Amino acid sequence: MRLLMIEDNARLAGLTVEGLARRGFSCDVAPDLETAGAALDAAAFDLLILDLGLPDGDGLAWLRAKRLTGDLPPALVLTARDALEDRVAGLDAGADDYLVKPFELDELAARIRALLRRPGTRAPVTLEVGPLRFDTSSRAVHAGARPVELTRRETDLLELLMRRAGAVVRRETIENALYTFDEPVTPNAVEAIVSRLRRRLDEAGAAGLLHTVRGVGYLMQEPR
Amino acid sequence: MRAGSISRRLTIGMALVGVIGTTLLFLFVAIEYGMTWSTFTDPGELPRVTRELSEHVLMPVLVLILPMTLLARWVIRTALAPLAGAAAQIDAASGMARGFRIGTDPLPPEARPFAQSVNALLERLDRAAADQEAFAADVAHELRTPLTLLALEADRLEAEPAARLRGDIGHMRRLIDQLMLLAQLDADLAARIPQAPIRLADLAADVAGRMAPLAIAQDRRIAVEDEGAPEILGRREAVAAALRNLVENALRFTPVGGTVTIRVGPGATLAVQDEGEGLSPERLAQLCRRHGRGDRASADGAGLGLAIVDRIMAAHAGTLAAGPERGTLRLRFPPAGD
Repeated sequence: MRLLMIEDNARLAGLTVEGLARRGFSCDVAPDLETAGAALDAAAFDLLILDLGLPDGDGLAWLRAKRLTGDLPPALVLTARDALEDRVAGLDAGADDYLVKPFELDELAARIRALLRRPGTRAPVTLEVGPLRFDTSSRAVHAGARPVELTRRETDLLELLMRRAGAVVRRETIENALYTFDEPVTPNAVEAIVSRLRRRLDEAGAAGLLHTVRGVGYLMQEPR
Repeated sequence: MRAGSISRRLTIGMALVGVIGTTLLFLFVAIEYGMTWSTFTDPGELPRVTRELSEHVLMPVLVLILPMTLLARWVIRTALAPLAGAAAQIDAASGMARGFRIGTDPLPPEARPFAQSVNALLERLDRAAADQEAFAADVAHELRTPLTLLALEADRLEAEPAARLRGDIGHMRRLIDQLMLLAQLDADLAARIPQAPIRLADLAADVAGRMAPLAIAQDRRIAVEDEGAPEILGRREAVAAALRNLVENALRFTPVGGTVTIRVGPGATLAVQDEGEGLSPERLAQLCRRHGRGDRASADGAGLGLAIVDRIMAAHAGTLAAGPERGTLRLRFPPAGD
């Protein structure tokens, strides 16, 4: 797992890299866009942490240009700007997530983990939440050492929730992911699958991970 | 000194012209026809005097004054009509982005300097709004980088006081966020950022979804109940910030294991109910004052939070009110199209 942080404030970059190292991420630093471009050509990175307002150009414009020309790992934008307009501009330009300074390292680490769990990143094949492990290639689920038997739909739902662990997945999103266009979805279908999945996880000894946010959706999160 | 209306002044002017004209004509006619004081007192002369006076005094005055009055009124009305048009333009522009100016072409030349002055004023206001926005952005940048460094340094410390230090830094960060939001809101209001339709149910689910992970980590729940609400017009980020502030507030007052409920509708309202004691309307009014003195409860930014909600609601021609249910704060918006 290799991260590249593009940040011109050397002290901030140093402290962030150090903090991320304590959390198990190895991170290189580029002080400007030119160095970053060279680093990306030289090595493969799993994630970019990009500060806006660099000395040699606009980070968002750079990101947009890079996205157009080739493949770029997911990018997390760090900035002191907090207006919504900037946020929208950032996400349009190809940033995958956004964190406003002053950030907390725990939050930065959580966002990094979430981005690395997304499908398409070459990073982890095993999703983990608490004692629960999901192997994305074999689609096998374990709670601790114990295998958990799930139906196809339950497995799909679990993968969806585990890929976005720590964030609420809206019920409409689940409906769209689990059912095809022409499949009729009864109003309570999602609730029914979730409650079956929750029962199986409880039985397997992985209770208290799957939370309901009534009226919104569902959330996989380990207790603190 | 207060100026009277133009029509009023016109009426007075015309009356004056009438009186002076009548008097002068009367004198000329009297001299021309050799009338003396005895002529007027002699009853035998009365028919002649009456005829001469009405023919040579009253008729000319009426024939001149009446059309002149009507014409002058018409001229004034049509000359001022473009001003009313410009006023309507300004009123209609209240929801427009900055850069609005009055069109000076339809105005009579006499009114153009005034319109140009108004335009110069609008330009100064636009510039002031832009300056303030830039200043707010500067403040954010200047404060956030050192605060980030502070947070990163605190993260390296392992001693027990470090946790308290990190807590304090968290408070500072929230406070700065809220100050920035307030500055942004003021700048947006000055700049007359256009409003967009907002689906309240969608917004509530969005805010609840973002806040639920933290709430659940602290063993509290967030729920959304949708009772049906019409679309409203507003600034989505500002309304979301208002709702977020209310939910943050409610989470603070909800005991472990409790639920904060966001109720959407019925009608163009968002209500946030916690399982705490709730606020009295007096306490709410106190917390909504940005410079509320003698309020020591806002050390965690709660007071500022409600002041921001209040301002956001005012900017949307809506209200923030307590109740009627226990522990409930309600945002009420005017329905779209109002």
